Amino acid sequence: MTALPGDVARVALDLPLRANLSALDNIALIPLYQRHFSAAESARQAQAMLDQLGHADIALLRDPDMTPSQRFVTKLARAIILKRPRLVIDRPGAMLYDVPYPEFIRQLAAQDAMAGTWEIFDFSWNQALYQA
Amino acid sequence: MNKLHFKVGLFTAASLLLAGIFVVYLLHARGFFEKTFHLQLAAASADGVAPGVPVVFSGIEIGRVTTLGLNDDGGIIIRAEFLERNAKWLKETSTFTLDKPFVGGAKIRVDSPDLDAPALPDNSTMLLLTSDISKEIPALVERVKAILANVEHLTRKDGEINATLANVQTVTGRMTGEYGMLEGVLGSPEKARAVTDSLDKTRALITKLDAMTAKTDQWLFAQDGMAEQTRASLAQVRLMLDDAQSSLKKADALMANAVEISADVKEGTQDIVKLRAEIDDAVRKANALVNEINKKWPFARDPEVKLP
Amino acid sequence: MNFLAASIESLGAKVVGWFTVAYGMFAFLAKAGMLLLDRTTWNRATFDVVIKQVYFTAVQILHVFLAYALVISWLIITIILSTARDFGLTEFASEMTIRVLVLELLPFLTALFIALRSGSAINTEVALMQVNNELDALAHCKVPPMQFEFLPRLIGGVISVVTLAGLAGLIALLQGYLSIYGISAAGFEPYTRTIAKIFDFQIMAGLIAKCALFGLAVTLIPVTAGLETPKKLFMVPVSVLRGMMRVFFAIVAIEVVSLALKYI
Repeated sequence: MTALPGDVARVALDLPLRANLSALDNIALIPLYQRHFSAAESARQAQAMLDQLGHADIALLRDPDMTPSQRFVTKLARAIILKRPRLVIDRPGAMLYDVPYPEFIRQLAAQDAMAGTWEIFDFSWNQALYQA
Repeated sequence: MNKLHFKVGLFTAASLLLAGIFVVYLLHARGFFEKTFHLQLAAASADGVAPGVPVVFSGIEIGRVTTLGLNDDGGIIIRAEFLERNAKWLKETSTFTLDKPFVGGAKIRVDSPDLDAPALPDNSTMLLLTSDISKEIPALVERVKAILANVEHLTRKDGEINATLANVQTVTGRMTGEYGMLEGVLGSPEKARAVTDSLDKTRALITKLDAMTAKTDQWLFAQDGMAEQTRASLAQVRLMLDDAQSSLKKADALMANAVEISADVKEGTQDIVKLRAEIDDAVRKANALVNEINKKWPFARDPEVKLP
Repeated sequence: MNFLAASIESLGAKVVGWFTVAYGMFAFLAKAGMLLLDRTTWNRATFDVVIKQVYFTAVQILHVFLAYALVISWLIITIILSTARDFGLTEFASEMTIRVLVLELLPFLTALFIALRSGSAINTEVALMQVNNELDALAHCKVPPMQFEFLPRLIGGVISVVTLAGLAGLIALLQGYLSIYGISAAGFEPYTRTIAKIFDFQIMAGLIAKCALFGLAVTLIPVTAGLETPKKLFMVPVSVLRGMMRVFFAIVAIEVVSLALKYI
C-alpha cells in the first residue's frame, strides 16, 4: 500500500484531515497551494465539491466534530479535488464503521458528475458485503 | 467584518504608529533634522580622549568627540560635533579643558565666561587645556616644597639674615638701595631679590593651590555622599591655606612698611625683627600645610581613590 | 580504560546529536528563507495565516503582556532609582534604566513570554501533527506544509516578539520618565538627550535584530523539535520538553552574544 505511484489519490485512515482546519479549509488547501488559486476561489471550489457529494452542511465542521461518515466524505472530497487519474479507497471499513459502507459509497458514487472509477481495496473477507 | 482581522489590523496600525512616532522622536533627539556644528581642538596629548567622549557645558552634554588625528606637525587634532541648537554655547572666549575625574569617564569641559561674546564660527580650531588634577597636584606640592625650602634656607637661625641682623650698623648705609630695607637686612641686592621672589612665588602658588582645591572640591565631590571624610580634610586644607595666605599678606604689608620707614633706622630695625618673625611664621605654616596636604591628599601617595 | 572510552563515546554521541539538531534547524531555516524569496508564497492565503498567527501570538495576550511589562518596568525602575540615589549616581539612573530595561531585560522577558505561551503550543501542535500522520496526509496531497503551517508561524513569531518588545520598551521609557521627573515637561530635554545618546543606529539595528532572532528562536526551534518527534503519542511530551529546553538555551545564547558584541 505504501508503494503506490504518484498518480493515485488515496482515501485512507492513515491520511487524516488537518485537525485544526474546517472541512472546507481542508479541501480548499489543494486548489490554494497546488494550483495557486485565490483563497476565495479555492473555498468556492471546495464548497462546490461538498455540494456535489451532498454534504454542504459540514463545511464549517472540524475533524473532531465530525461523524465518521462526514469525515469520510471530507477525505473523499479532498481526494477527488486532487484530480488524479486513479482514486483508491483504502479499507473503507476502518473509516466508515457506523454505516453500511458499501451502500454509502455507492450512493456517493452515484452523485452527478462523479466521473472516473473509484478503486476500493478491502479485506477479502469483506467481499460479500459488496455483492449485496 | 472579520473581527480577528480587525483586531490584528488595529494592533498593527497602533504599533506602526508608535514605532513611527518613536523613530521621528529619535531622529529629532539625535539632531537628524538639524545641521551639525564642527569644532577642532588642538591638544598636546590625547590621553584619555576617544571618539564618543562628551563635550559638556555647565555639566550638560552638548557634543561629542568624533575623531582623533595628528596634524602635519605631530600635534593632536580632536574633532568634535555639536548640534546646531547646542552650538550657541560656544563663544570665541570659551575655554576647552580636558577633565579626567576619578569617577566617570573623561570629558571636555567648555567654559564660556562671557555669553555675550561673538559665537564661534563653524570648523574653528581652539586649544584644549589639560587639567588632570591627579598629575598636577603632586607636581605643585613638589614645587611648593622646593620654594619653601629655599625660603627656609635664607631665613634659618644661623643663616645670612641672622648674621646680617647682628650687624645693624652696616645696614643703614644700604637702606637707600633698590631693595631698600631688605637689601640692608640681607646684605646684597641679589639676596634681597631672592627673598622677595620666593615670597612672591609662594604667595602665587598658594593662591593657585587654593583655586585648585576649590576646583577639586567641585569636580570630585559634587555628588552628595561621596568621600565625606576627604571632603572634610580638604576643607581643613583650605582653612590652613587661608591662614598661610593672611600671614604672607601681613609679611607683605610689613615689607612695604619697612621700605617706607627705612629713614627711621631704629624703628626700622625693630620692624625687621618683626618681619623676620612673620616670615618664619609664614614658612612654618606653609610647611605645615605641605605636610598636611601630603598626609591628607588622597592621591599624593596612592594614585587610587577608594570609594566608601 | 573502558570507562574512559565509554565517556568519550557518550560525549561524541552528544556532540553529534547537537550537530544534527543544529543542522536540522538551519536546513529548515534555509528552506523557509528560500520559500520567502518564492513569489508564489506571497499570496492572500499565507497572509491570512500570518495574520492569524500574529493574532494568537501577540494580540490575544496584549493586555496581559502590557500589564506584566508595566509591573516589571515599575519594579526595576524603582530599584535602579533608589540604588542610584543611595550611591549618589542619580545622573546615571535614566541611562541605566533605559539600558537595562529597554535594551536587555524587556526583549529577553518578551521572548520568554512568547516561548512559554506560543512556543510550547507550536511544539505540541507540530508534534501531534507528526504523530497523527497529518503531515503525511499533506505530503500525499502534495501540499507543502511549510507554506501554510510553518513559515507563517516563523513570520508571526518574529513580528510578535519585535512588536511586543518594542511596545514594552516604549512603556518602560514613559514610565522611566514619569518616575524620574514626575508629570512635568521639565525633564524632556535631558531625557531626550539621554535617549539620543543611547539609541544610535547600531544599537537600534542590534535591538531589532536581537528581537527578530528571539522571535525566530521561539518558533523555529519548537517547529523543528516537533518535526523530530517519533510517531508515538507518548513521545509528544518528551518532544515539547526537549524543544523548550533548546528554546531556553537559544534565548540565553542570543542574549549573551548580543551583550558580548555590545560591551566587549
